[in-house]
Parts: sequence; C-alpha cells; structure tokens
Amino acid sequence: MKILDIRESRERCAESGWFAYDFILAGQVEKELILGLKPLGNLTYLPMLKKPFFKVESNYYFLKGMEKDDYIRVAVHDKHRSELEVVKTFLENFSS
Amino acid sequence: MVYLNQAATTFPKPKQVLDAVSDAIANPPQGQFRSSSASEDIFDNCRKNLGELFGVREYQNIVFTAGATAAANALFYGLDFRTGQIIVSQTEHNSILRPAMNLTEKISEGIVLPCDEMGYLEPEKLEEILSKYQDNISAVFINHCSNVTGVIQPIAKLAEICHSHGAMIIADFSQSAGCIPIKADQWDIDAFIFAGHKGLYGIQGIGGYYIKSEYSLKPFMYGGTGRDSRIIKYNSDFEYEVGTGNGPGVAALNAGVRFVLDKGVENIRLHEMNLMNYLYEGLKEIDRINIISIPKDLRGPVLSFTVDGMKTGDVAYILQNGYEITVRTGLHCAPLIHEALGTKDDGTIRVSVSYFNTKEDIKALIAAMVDITASL
Repeated sequence: MKILDIRESRERCAESGWFAYDFILAGQVEKELILGLKPLGNLTYLPMLKKPFFKVESNYYFLKGMEKDDYIRVAVHDKHRSELEVVKTFLENFSS
Repeated sequence: MVYLNQAATTFPKPKQVLDAVSDAIANPPQGQFRSSSASEDIFDNCRKNLGELFGVREYQNIVFTAGATAAANALFYGLDFRTGQIIVSQTEHNSILRPAMNLTEKISEGIVLPCDEMGYLEPEKLEEILSKYQDNISAVFINHCSNVTGVIQPIAKLAEICHSHGAMIIADFSQSAGCIPIKADQWDIDAFIFAGHKGLYGIQGIGGYYIKSEYSLKPFMYGGTGRDSRIIKYNSDFEYEVGTGNGPGVAALNAGVRFVLDKGVENIRLHEMNLMNYLYEGLKEIDRINIISIPKDLRGPVLSFTVDGMKTGDVAYILQNGYEITVRTGLHCAPLIHEALGTKDDGTIRVSVSYFNTKEDIKALIAAMVDITASL
C-alpha cells in the first residue's frame, strides 16, 4: 500500500506520552489490509459497526482506523518513535 | 455532525457573536486614537455585563486576559501568598495545578484538598485541613464545576470555611459561567477566573479574572496602554490590561454574555439539565457502560463514563469517525481527580452540552453507544 503522507495528528494533548501520526494512504483501508496487519500486534476488529473499526496493539505502538477510510492513525510511545519506520515499511510492503 | 465537546469550546456560537467579531474587525478599532466619541467602550460594557452575570458589584475589577490560564497565572504571580502555603482541590485543571506546583519561589507548599469518587469536595475535609495547618493557609483554589464529572461544588459553604480560617477563596468559574447561576458577591468569593469561549459563547483567546478591591495584586505583565504614558515605574495603582487589547475577543465575549443574560442562565441550565438527565437515563440502560454518577441537584452540563473492554480513546475514535459524534476522552487536563474516580490510567469519555444541543443529539450518542457496546 502506497503511503502518500505522514502527518502529525491534530490532537495536541499528548496526555499519556503517546504521539500520534496519520498515515495518508493511496487507497481505502479494505478488510484484507486490516486482517493483514496481524503480524504487527494484537488485532481487534469490530466488523459489526456501521463503519468497522480496527486496532493493532504492540508494546511500543498502536494503529487504528475505520474500514474504507483512506488513513490510519499510528501512535508511538515517546521513547520508541523509531518504531514508526517499522509500521511504515510493513504498510508499504503490503499487497493484497 | 453532533458536537458534544462543549466543555472544551462551545460550538456553534450565537449569530450575535459572529456579527460582533465581524463588526469589530470591519470597523476602525475603538479607543486607540485619542479622539473616540462618547459612546460606551466595549471593554467597559462587557465588564458591566460580566458583573451582572457573575453577581459582582465591583465589575470594574474584572480584568481581561488571553484566557482562564492567563488569568490564573496573573493571580498566582500577582498575589502575595503571605505564608507560602495554599490549597488546591483535587478536581483542579492544570491551569491551576501547574502554577501551584511550579511557582516554588512563591508557594512553598501546595496542599491538595481531596475529593470523593464523583469529584465532590466535602466541606468537612476543607475544615479539617485548614485546622490542621493552624490557619496558615493563604488561599484556597476551588473549581466550581468539574470539567471531568460535572459535579457542582458547595462553593458558598467552602468560602465560609476559608474565611473562618483567614484564607482567601479563589474560584475557577471556567466551566460553570453561563451554565450555572453564579452569585460571587453573595457567596463571598475573593477572586475568580473565567474562560470566554465555553459557556459564555465568546471566541478562543479571551477570558479574565476578578479580584476584590481589598486585595493588592502586582501585575503579571507591564507594557503600553493605560492612564498615563509618562509613568515608567509604578509604586502602586498598577495597570492590569497592558498592550493593545483583544478588541474582537471582547466584542465576541460581550455578545456572548448578552446572549446568555437575555436567555437567562436559569433557562439555559434547565435546557442543559434536561439533556443531561436524558443522557444519564439512556446510558444507564446500556451494559458495559460505567457512568460517573452525580446526584441530580449537583449535576453540571458535563458527564463522564467508561466502557468495559474498550479504551476510552477508541470509543471516541469510533464515535468521531464512524458516527460523526464529537466527544472528548482522556484526563481532560485534570489529572488528580482521576485518582479519586479510579480512571487515572485511561481517563474517561466526556460528554458535554450547550444551549444549542438538542435531544436528537443525545439520542444519536445513545444509539451509537448501543452499537459500540453490542459489537464487543
């Protein structure tokens, strides 16, 4: 999946030491991509919602978003910002 | 879009406020060219209206600042805390907590007045602490209405206790102004701060403080504007609004306050309480939802809850991106109260309403929460 841009999240209040970024994607987030995120951490997928929600959690970062949106929010803990690169590489190499 | 984050900044604003801002920037600025007409100054007119809203006779003692945080800092920097010991309640916002805990050259000890599991401050607890410190407390800071749980504090009783121990009481009316009737003189409040962009329907960047004439306050800042340009060094008779004032901000605030006064704070409160009571009843019926429950007579226009099995941030994300409903989650810049609520790790989901919210907005939120909790 091509990443068009990585933007620092507009949420300015990083209360718990996490810093969030929005990964702007070239296409929509499809179910295949969501299920394909499993190697990155524990996957929660709520397909019953009006717009399905997903979240992947690891010790140092998490990703979340809605199916059919064209962006994914990625948050990393302050001390592990380098993990962003791991997520970026994984997404870029993903092909359904 | 359903906007239920009114405790942060109200939206939408009354038309009068939009017009006031537009007029303020479309016309020559008032009072900056030494030849103004005799028409009443917008700053003084706003002070007068705020005096009516807050129930203070000495409305000239209201000072405009860039917001409630700037107002709080003006008081912290300017007051003489003779003993160096002050009390802040556990419910305070960081705009109070951080100056209290960091201004160590003026404050030797910031003592925390604990609240209960809904954020309520028991007057007996205050009495106990003031007695323990043998009347050495200079000032007590109380958040009138919690921005986390919405609980309204027994401010008049707390003021009475403070005064019986020689301490001044400083109230934070940021969350209550415009939503809950305030009678600062009658309650004997020594000083207070307020935000202009919440229940007073002004815009961001305007707020202020009030202080009784009997207290002296050294200015937080010095600069231009004032009565006599030749004075360079002040001995007393300080200026408190220095630099070019925020004319559009004050014009907006004035229009917002006028809107509130014309509607009547009691009527606004009635409308908002109807919405909150409906929300309480709706959320109460949903499994997995834990409301931080406040008795009806102590409820402000704010409610917090958590969801078993889901992070608060995820609930808000789904509400925003799946249902176009805006709430707020986290600690809400009031970290200490969460120790009492049992929510210090993940905070709460906060819903807050204004005069412009409707029952349909609340129905939409309840329906979304039914969906979300059912999906778990």
